[in-house]
Amino acid sequence: MDTLIAETAGTPVNVTIDGQPVIAYAEETILTCARRHKVNIPTLCEMHDIDHAPGTCRVCLAEIRTPGRDGLQMATTCNTPVCEGMEILTHTKRVRDMQRLQVELLLADHDQDCATCVRHGNCELQDIAHFVGLRTNRFFRPERIASRGIDDSSPALIRDMTKCIRCRRCVAICREGQAVDALVVTGSGQSAAVGLHYGTSQKDSTCITCGQCVLVCPTGALGERDETDLVLDMLYDPEIITVFQFAPAVRVGFGEEFGLPPGTNVEGQIISALRTLGADIVLDTNFAADVVIMEEATELLRRLGQGKKPTFTSCCPAWINFAERHYPDILPLLSSTKSPQQCLGKIAKTYLPERMGLDPARIRVVSIMPCIAKKDERVREQLGENGVREIDVVLTTREFARLLRRQGIDFAALPSSTFDNPYMTAYSGAGAIFGTTGGVMEAAVRTMYKVVTGEELAKIELDQLRGFEGVRSATVDVGNGIGVVKIAMCHGLKPTRELVEAVRAGTADFDFIEIMACPGGCVDGGGNLRSKKAYMPNAMKRRESLFAIDHVARVRQSHNNPQVQALYRDFLEQPYSEKAHHLLHTYYTDRHLDMVRTVKDIWQEITMSTMIY
Amino acid sequence: MSHEGEVSLAHISYGVWDGVVLDNRGKDAPDRVALSEFDSIDEFNPGNPIRAFFADRGFLVFDPEVSLIDALWRYLDKAAEQSCGKCTPCRMGTVLIRDALNQLRIGDAVQLDFDTIDTLAQQMAETSLCGLGRTCAGALLGALHHFRGALEAEADAGPAPRQYGMSYMTAPCIEACPSRINVPRYIDYIRDGKPEHSLGVILQKYPMAATCGRVCVRFCEIACHRSLVDQPVGIKTLKRYVADHQKGPNALNFTRDLIAHPLPDDMRVAVVGAGPSGISCAYHLLLHGYHVDILDAMGEAGGMAAIGIPSYRLPKDVVKSESEILISLGGHFLFNQALGRDYSIDDLFARGYKAVYLALGCQQGTQMGVKGEDPTLSGYETGIAFLLIVHDHIAGIKTTALSGDVVVVGGGNVAMDCVRSALRMGANSVHLIYRRTRADMPADKEEIEAAEAEGVIFHFLTNPSQVIAQDGRVVGVELVDMAQTDADAKGRRNVKPIPGTERVMTCTTLISAIGQQVQSGAITPVDGVAMNRWKCVDVDATSLATSRPGVFAGGDCATGPSTLIHAMAGGLRAARAIDDWLQLGEVRFAPRARMRQIVAEHKMLASCVNVPVKRIYRVHHPELDPEVRKSMFEEVEHNITKEEAYHEANRCMRCYRIYSVITDQPIPEGAV
Repeated sequence: MDTLIAETAGTPVNVTIDGQPVIAYAEETILTCARRHKVNIPTLCEMHDIDHAPGTCRVCLAEIRTPGRDGLQMATTCNTPVCEGMEILTHTKRVRDMQRLQVELLLADHDQDCATCVRHGNCELQDIAHFVGLRTNRFFRPERIASRGIDDSSPALIRDMTKCIRCRRCVAICREGQAVDALVVTGSGQSAAVGLHYGTSQKDSTCITCGQCVLVCPTGALGERDETDLVLDMLYDPEIITVFQFAPAVRVGFGEEFGLPPGTNVEGQIISALRTLGADIVLDTNFAADVVIMEEATELLRRLGQGKKPTFTSCCPAWINFAERHYPDILPLLSSTKSPQQCLGKIAKTYLPERMGLDPARIRVVSIMPCIAKKDERVREQLGENGVREIDVVLTTREFARLLRRQGIDFAALPSSTFDNPYMTAYSGAGAIFGTTGGVMEAAVRTMYKVVTGEELAKIELDQLRGFEGVRSATVDVGNGIGVVKIAMCHGLKPTRELVEAVRAGTADFDFIEIMACPGGCVDGGGNLRSKKAYMPNAMKRRESLFAIDHVARVRQSHNNPQVQALYRDFLEQPYSEKAHHLLHTYYTDRHLDMVRTVKDIWQEITMSTMIY
Repeated sequence: MSHEGEVSLAHISYGVWDGVVLDNRGKDAPDRVALSEFDSIDEFNPGNPIRAFFADRGFLVFDPEVSLIDALWRYLDKAAEQSCGKCTPCRMGTVLIRDALNQLRIGDAVQLDFDTIDTLAQQMAETSLCGLGRTCAGALLGALHHFRGALEAEADAGPAPRQYGMSYMTAPCIEACPSRINVPRYIDYIRDGKPEHSLGVILQKYPMAATCGRVCVRFCEIACHRSLVDQPVGIKTLKRYVADHQKGPNALNFTRDLIAHPLPDDMRVAVVGAGPSGISCAYHLLLHGYHVDILDAMGEAGGMAAIGIPSYRLPKDVVKSESEILISLGGHFLFNQALGRDYSIDDLFARGYKAVYLALGCQQGTQMGVKGEDPTLSGYETGIAFLLIVHDHIAGIKTTALSGDVVVVGGGNVAMDCVRSALRMGANSVHLIYRRTRADMPADKEEIEAAEAEGVIFHFLTNPSQVIAQDGRVVGVELVDMAQTDADAKGRRNVKPIPGTERVMTCTTLISAIGQQVQSGAITPVDGVAMNRWKCVDVDATSLATSRPGVFAGGDCATGPSTLIHAMAGGLRAARAIDDWLQLGEVRFAPRARMRQIVAEHKMLASCVNVPVKRIYRVHHPELDPEVRKSMFEEVEHNITKEEAYHEANRCMRCYRIYSVITDQPIPEGAV
C-alpha cells in the first residue's frame, strides 16, 4: 500500500510547545512531537506500539494556534498534524478542565465497581483519572451500562463490555496485528461496544482466543476466566494430590509482576511459591516439551517417508483453533502430537502414579500458562477419557500472580528452589526454548538429525532460525535417504495466514512448519502479564533468557534427557509406539463457521440509517 | 408566505446564524433586521408555517411563542439517537444534555443547570471526533450565549407547550447523491467490520450496488469534504468492495420473506425497460408487495448498463446477477418485447396492470447533422449502435472484426466507451474528435486518462464537417478546427469553426457518439403520453407522473441521457409515487424531500469544520497494465483488499449535520 502515505519523514517545521521553540516534522502529530520533546500529554485510547490512534477517547487535548487563524483551538494531539508556526499549549487551565471533564464523561458509562475488577490498581482508566486530577463523578448511572453485556460463554476469554471504553485497540490488534478479524464494533451511543462477527457468542465465534486483545485492553473489559478459586479448592482438599506444571515461557515472564527486571529467570522462585501454596508435586512443562519433540520428530520423518508434506506443528492451541475455524482443509497437515501441556497431563495421570504408587483418581493437574487458548485446549472433547481430563485447571500467568497475592505470598522474597520429582522435571535446552518462536523447530531439528544420522548435530544453535521476521525459512541436510529438509517458522497469525494461503495455493514448498499464534511465541502469549500502554515491551529480554537457559544446559537435546529416556524405556517403549500414539496423539475437527445471512437479517440489524423496509 | 393581517413569518423574530445575532423582539418593522437569504422559509407543507429552524450554524425563530427548550430538546434528541458512541464527548454529551433539556421541558426536577449544559455543549463542539458531535451543539450554544434570558424565563414558566416538527440528519455526500444513500453510514459499517451491513444500507436504495460501485459518476465524491484535507474518500471504491459480498459462500441472499406485506394478485404493475431505472423501480415495487413484470426490447436485462457499458468496465455477469435479484423477489422479465412494436400502453392496461412505469431509456443515437452523413453507409455507426455491436461480439451473438482506422466523435462517456472498445475490437488506430477542449469533456477524468494510456489519439477543438464515402462505404471524414469564442455573461466559452482549416482524415469506421434520444416509434400519440420539447417523456418533477393517469416515467426517457445513479433514483421515486397513487389515489407530500429542498436552497451544507486533519491518501484500484488490457474485454479495475477497505473507510470524517424545524401543525406522514 505504498500509495497510502505520500509524505513520510516530513521536512522540519518550527513550532512552540508551551512557549518553547522546538523542531517538528511536517505531517507528524502534535503528540509524536511532544513525546519526542519529553512533554507529557495524557493519553488513553492511543497505543504507539501498535500504531493506533483512533481518536475516540478525546483526552489528549491541547490548545493550538495556527498561523492565519485567529484565536486558540482545542485539538486532540494524537491525530492533529503540526504545521509551521503552530503554537501548542498543553497545560492551560482550559486544557486541563476539558481533559478532566472528558475522563468524567468516560466514567459516566463505565462500570464503576473497581474493587471487584481484575484490573484494579493496574488500569489505564484509573491512571488517567489520576493524571487529570479527577475528583468528581457526577454522571454515572447504572442503566448506562445495562445494554452492554458480559459474554462469559467461552471457557477461556471473558468479554465484559460494561468496562469497554471504545478505544478499539482490541479491534486493531485482531484486525491488523493478527489478521484474524474476529471483532466488530456493535451498537451505537452508550450501547457501542465491541462484539464478534455475525453477532455470535465468544464461544461460537471466529475468535481463536490468542488473547492478544487482552494484552492491549486498557481496562478490565477483556480477560481470562478466573479459575484461581478452583485451584484453592484443590489445594485445600486433603483427598486431592495436586500436580503443578508451568510452561517454558512462564519462568522468564513472571518476575516483572514482583518488581524483578524483565526477562529474569524465576524458575526457582516459582517452584518455591508452588510449594508454599501447598502443591504436592511440582513438574515442568519443559519435560513434556522434550517428549513432544520425540514424538513429533518421529512423526515428521515418518510422514516425509510417506511423501506427505508439509507438516505443521501442533503445540499452539490458538493455532489449532485458527486452523479448525479458518482453514479446516489443512487439518490433515497438522502433526497429531498433543501439546506439551496435554502430554504432561496425560503422563502425570498414567506413568507418574505407576512410578510413585499413587492413586491416579486422586491426581489433579494444574497448568500455569502464558496463554488463554490453553483453557480452550483443556476442555477439548478429544483430550479427555471417561470423564477424566488430562488437565484439570489452566491458570494464566496473570491468574498465578493473583493467586499468590490472594495467599499473601511475597514472591520476590522467596528463596530459589529446585525440582525434586525424579520422573517429570528434567529438561534439555531444546525443551526450554519451546517458549519462543523458532524454538520448537530448533529442538526438533536437533533430534531429527540424531534419529536419521545417528550423530549429534554439530552446531546446535541455529542462528538462521533465531530471527524475528514473521516467516523465516531454512534448510537442514539430514542425509540418509531423507536429505534436505525445508523448514519454516512463523509467528503471529498475520504471517501465518499468508503462509497457509501460500501452502494451499501450492506456492510454498516446505516439509515442516512451526506455527506460534502469538507474535514472538509464548513469551508474548495472551496469558502473560499486562503491560500498560505498551505492546510486547519485554519480548526480546524474555527470549534471550530462554536462549540463555539452553546455552548453559547440560543436556541440550530432547533425546538426551535422561528422564525422557527413562519414560520410553520403562513405559512408552519408543517414540510413536502404539502406546505413545494412544496417549500422546490426538485429532482435529472441522469447526468452520459458515454464516449464511439474508438481506432480511441484515436489514433488521441496521441502525442509525433511515430504513425504507 | 404572508398571512393576511399578520406579520410574515419569514421575518425573523430572533436567532443566531453564523455568529450573527438577530433580535427583533419588540422592534417596529423599520428597525427589524432581516437575513434576506431566509426570506423564502415560510411554509413547510401547504398551510403549515415554519415557526423556527435549527441547524449546526445556528437557529432562527420566526414565531416568538416557540419554546426554545422544547425545540433544542428535539434537536439534541436526534443527535443522541444518531450518536455512534465511539467518541466520549458526543456519546455522553448528547445524552446528558438531551435528558437535562427534557427535564426542563416537562418541568421535572432539574439535574443539570444551564452552566453545566453550556460546559458540556462546548466540550462536544470543541472535542468531538466527527461532524455530528462537533456541530450538534451549535444551535444550543447560540441560545445559551445570546438568549440565556429567554431560556431561563421559559424554564421558570414550567412545562413547555406542545410543539410539532421534525429533525433530519444528512451530510454533503448524501445530499449530493441522487439516490440519497447514507454514505457515512455505509462507510462506518466497513470501519466497524460489518461489510454485509454496509451493503444492506446501499440495498435499501437500489439493487445494483456492484454496478454502481463500478460505473457511478460519484456526485458524492465531488461533495466530499475530505477533499478540503487531501482527496475525497473513495466512496465508489468502497461500494464496490462491499458489493462483492453479494457473491461467494457467505453471499447475502434476497428472500421472498423480505416482502412484509404481499398485496393481492391483481396488484400488478408493468415496468417498461429493464435498465437501471426499471430495475430499481421494479425492486421497490416488489418490496412493497406488488406483482411486477418487466418488459424489455432486448433479450436480457440491464439496458444501457448491459449494452452501453463495455465489459472491461462492467462485466456482464455483474449486471445479470443484480437483475436476478428481481426474480428472487418474484418479478418476471418479459424479453424481446418492444413498446410501440409489440404492444402499446393501452395493451398493458388491458392485460390488467394497474400502473405502468416507462423506463425506456434513450436508445437511439443522435446524428451529427453534417454533409454526407447517411446512417445506411457501411462503416458509419452511432455510438450506441456501435456499443451494441461490441456487446453482441462479446456475448458471442455476432462476431465482428474491426480493422483500419476508427474515428469517434464526441466527448462524453459513451464516446470514451467507443474508443476504448474500438481498440479492443482490433482497430489499427483510434482517433477521438471533440469540438471543445479537454477540460470541457463531460466524460469522467479517469476514463479519459485510461483511454489515453491505452493509445487513443485525441483531437480537441476539432469538428467533423463532412462524411466522405465511396461506393456506400465510409472512407474518411472532413474535419475543421474550432476556435473558442470569448466568454459570455456566465463565463462560458462557445466554439466556432475556423474557415479554411478543413482537411480530410481517412478512416474505415466513423462513430457519432454525440448523444442519444428516446427510440422513435416507441411512444406514439395513441399512447396518450405527452412528450416535451426535448423529445423526452413529459413528467411531473415530483411524482414522475406523465400526462396519462397511472403512467409514470423516469430515467433517461424522462431526463434525457443521464447517469446510472439518476436513473436508479428515478426508479425509487417512481415506485413510491406508484405505491401512493395505487393505495391512496394521490402522491403524498414527502417531508424529507422538503427538508432537503430547504437545505439545498439555503446552501446550509456549505460550512465545514475547520480543524487541521492529518493527510491520509486514498487507495487505488489495482488495475491491469494498459498494454495488456487494451486488447481484451476483461475487467480493468480489480477490487481492493480488506486492509485497503479499512484504510479507506477510516478516511471518512462523518460530516453529519442535523436540521430541525418547528411547525405550526403536525407534519403529514409521507414516504420515508
